[in-house]
Amino acid sequence: MRRLPCIFALLLLLAVAGQATAAFRFPIPEFESGYQHPTPVTPAPRLIPPAVDIAALAGALSITAWLVLKRRSRREVLLMAVASVLYFGFYRKGCICPVGSVQNVANAVVGNGMGVPFVVAVYFFLPLLFAIYFGRVFCAGVCPLGAAQEILALFPVQISRPLEHVLGLFAYAYLGFAVLAIYTGAGFLVCQYDPFVGFFRLGGTFNMFLAGGILLLIGIFVARPYCRFLCPYGVLLRWASIFSKWHVTITPAECIQCRLCENSCPYNAIVVPTPENAPDDRRAGARRLGLLLLATPLIVIFAGWTGLASHQFIARIHPTIRLAERVAAEEQGVYAERSVESEAFRAGSKTPADLYAQAEALRIRFKTASACFGAFMGVAFCGRMIRLSVIRRNRDYVADQGACLSCARCFAYCPVGKEDAAF
Amino acid sequence: MPLSDKNKPRFAANETLWRTAMTVAVVAGLFALVVSTLLIANYLQMRAVNPLDNPEIVKLRLQLAQSQEPNPTLSEQIRVLDLLARKAFFTSQKQLQAGAYLLLGGVVVLALALYLAGQSRPRLPLPNPDVPAPGYWTVRARARELIALAGFVWVIGALLAAHFTRLDVPVPAATASLGAPVIPAKAGTSLPASEEQQKTQPAAAPTVTWPDWATVKKNWPSFRGPGSYGVAQFTTAPVEWDVESGKNIKWKTDVPLPAPNSPVVWDNRVFLSGATADKREIYCFDSDSGQLLWAYTLGKLEGTPDAPPKVSDETSFAAPTMAVQGDRACAIFANGDLACVDFSGKLLWGKNLGAPDNHYGHASSLIAFQNLLLVQFDQKANGRLVALDLSDGHEVYAVKRGIISWSSPACVETPTGFQLLLNSSKDVTSYEPLTGKQLWQLKCLSGEVAPSPAWGAGLFLVANDYATATAIKFAEGKTPPEPEIAWQFEDALPDTSSPVGTDTHFYLSTARGEIVCLDAKTGKQAWMQENEEGFNASPIAVGDRIYLVDRKGMVTIFKDSDSFEKLGSPTLGEESFATPAFMDGRIYARTATKLICIAAG
Repeated sequence: MRRLPCIFALLLLLAVAGQATAAFRFPIPEFESGYQHPTPVTPAPRLIPPAVDIAALAGALSITAWLVLKRRSRREVLLMAVASVLYFGFYRKGCICPVGSVQNVANAVVGNGMGVPFVVAVYFFLPLLFAIYFGRVFCAGVCPLGAAQEILALFPVQISRPLEHVLGLFAYAYLGFAVLAIYTGAGFLVCQYDPFVGFFRLGGTFNMFLAGGILLLIGIFVARPYCRFLCPYGVLLRWASIFSKWHVTITPAECIQCRLCENSCPYNAIVVPTPENAPDDRRAGARRLGLLLLATPLIVIFAGWTGLASHQFIARIHPTIRLAERVAAEEQGVYAERSVESEAFRAGSKTPADLYAQAEALRIRFKTASACFGAFMGVAFCGRMIRLSVIRRNRDYVADQGACLSCARCFAYCPVGKEDAAF
Repeated sequence: MPLSDKNKPRFAANETLWRTAMTVAVVAGLFALVVSTLLIANYLQMRAVNPLDNPEIVKLRLQLAQSQEPNPTLSEQIRVLDLLARKAFFTSQKQLQAGAYLLLGGVVVLALALYLAGQSRPRLPLPNPDVPAPGYWTVRARARELIALAGFVWVIGALLAAHFTRLDVPVPAATASLGAPVIPAKAGTSLPASEEQQKTQPAAAPTVTWPDWATVKKNWPSFRGPGSYGVAQFTTAPVEWDVESGKNIKWKTDVPLPAPNSPVVWDNRVFLSGATADKREIYCFDSDSGQLLWAYTLGKLEGTPDAPPKVSDETSFAAPTMAVQGDRACAIFANGDLACVDFSGKLLWGKNLGAPDNHYGHASSLIAFQNLLLVQFDQKANGRLVALDLSDGHEVYAVKRGIISWSSPACVETPTGFQLLLNSSKDVTSYEPLTGKQLWQLKCLSGEVAPSPAWGAGLFLVANDYATATAIKFAEGKTPPEPEIAWQFEDALPDTSSPVGTDTHFYLSTARGEIVCLDAKTGKQAWMQENEEGFNASPIAVGDRIYLVDRKGMVTIFKDSDSFEKLGSPTLGEESFATPAFMDGRIYARTATKLICIAAG
């Protein structure tokens, strides 16, 4: 543990140094000798046929599922994660990626209606399909963002389960906010604020590296913070994985209640056997659940109203609204100088009145979006409360199908072998 | 209990591997640390250095720019240095990139070594001796409590955000909470759009050809007429009338809300504005019949302050006179609301300029020039001259002005071009009306200035009580014009009323009731006449006559002459603070409650 400060320092330095690879631009030299400047050429795109992308994803998912479910090998899953970081991360530069594809699909459904390219659609649906059958094998060893964090989770500790439940709600908020941004045309926030893509591309803004560095740093101890508490696609995978048919099991045979695996999962994804004696009587629990179910519609409506009330605050994520505010302030003499954005706008053909009209139309759109966002968060809060109020009796140590990332850590803790299945 | 062979060795320690891995980790860590330090130093250096800002190159460039003749040696020297600087820069950049890869490699090796070290000394599973039962229920209860707390924090955060955030974007006219014509038009007149129509149909921005100066002069588009310097273009105004008997009174119409602002006229439409603390209205009258065609009630615009401003009784909530240009009329109110309506009473655009910081209330009237609406927004703080495009209200320019005033702008066609003159409480400043460029400034005023500039005999005259009246002349052929004080007069000076100039004289009217005639060439007082009542309205030169309304509504008409020659003193029938509008054969005068049209025959 005494070495840890060094690791902290190194990762932070890496974040700073990574920015050093960002491109510098300044004017080309001026010549008077008739020298002809070569025409700037954009490098040809790296052409990867869509079939290769799809095959790579399907192959990686299949292999990971096989490693997790059949081979039950942590080391091999980890090697798969390394391979994914190298291919999907560094070679494919983190794009295309199922996490970002959530926005493409949302854009087609609630955004500007632009069609989703076939490859992107496959990238969105295929991991979900695998989750329905095999659990979150995508998270285990295919997602480059998750894999990078998995590799660096060197000294993982368990955080308290109640805290885990609360922090998990941030992912819902991020998902809702990302869809809101798509609906209002504010942009692809998940991509804009992707903390790891800067590392994969060895270039990016300082803030991007800082955010990524901090997440990786936290991830050394609190494993996979982005996956558990932020990833919007993780929310969908969680929902799909809950119904998975052949989800990974801690023990390959029958649980012998040895409790060796009890603290093996850094993701708090092991459900312990339900104790026989509950502190509350059954009726008290049922009353609480009933009240919660009755209150849910009201809570959702109230949450929707809070979203609606705060729509002007949320609307500031939109660049057009920020620009309109700036231009209006400049027109009222609040600022002595014009901003770069304002100058660019004024150089165009639109008038401030056009801009204000556009901002007003957007504000109205934000009202709807914010109300839906608030209601969605109300559903998320109530859903989690209901889940915590419903007692599902289980006798063994089993994986929480929604939360389990199929990382295969727990296998080593189970003394029961496959050959014990006969017993 | 049989153990799986596959799982057995997983918790076995391997001392040799651990030592090796730790050694590699230490070496990789040190390597990464050194590379990182160098990278950061290089990065910071690169951030600070721009090869194009090399002082030596800048110096040589300056020399080259200053040299009168081509200097090939110097050019070559610059090229060599420029190339060197660029080479150094790109070399440094390559080093950075190579360093980044080295660092990445170092970190990967470090992570791998630490991973292997961890695997070589695994932590054995050590279950808690207690059974999990008590914790099971506690965890659920705590989780529920924490989620409830998080929900509470979420709601508080959302409510705070809702309370403290308001988008400062003006609501466009089409979507502003529009007021409606509150007085229905009578049969036979052009009907305004219905309230519903106004709410749903944005007034289309028409393609406008802005009227030229000759057209403007045929109307009474602003306070004190065309150019706002008090000279009527028509000379046919009647000199006799009697409100009581109706002699030469074409019509009289009640004005719904009071205000001291003056009528403006374009073609056959007369406009006024009126306001109370919580209501702001624009009125349009038919100039032939006096019928109130419509009254537009201005709704709340984006930025309109909730509380009404503090104003003095004399200034009230709608002191500024409107401006009318082409097919639209504009009004500004004491709370900073500015509205532009078309001749059918439809709001074209509206905006709030910010709550005026003004202890008497905003009083400067509007003036239009070509496509611009010019607003003298002199306040205690953030005062400015604002030019707005009449078509949609967007700001064309804004010029900062530091000192408060209650004066109104005048736009005068001088031999060197149009000049926009603005008085402040210290000086008079001239601007190019289309660009806002300052042409000249002269410090010759003091006190709380309300009178506006006058123009006559090739001179500007500015005056204020307890200061001086200063005539300003210009040296011929100087561009931009260079002002000089022609003469000054320090006796009876105006408080609110603005001076007026003719080819031979300037006339001042004071709050105490004095009328002063000054010789335009010398500034000498030609005569002074004392009136029983003081003057708020400004004198208007109509041909060789001067019309001047006192506070009681009596109109003194006298000849533009070296001696006082009274031509008549008819009355408007009640108090008046407004300056009448003079059109061909007609006078439109606003009294405390009425709009009166006086026309011979």
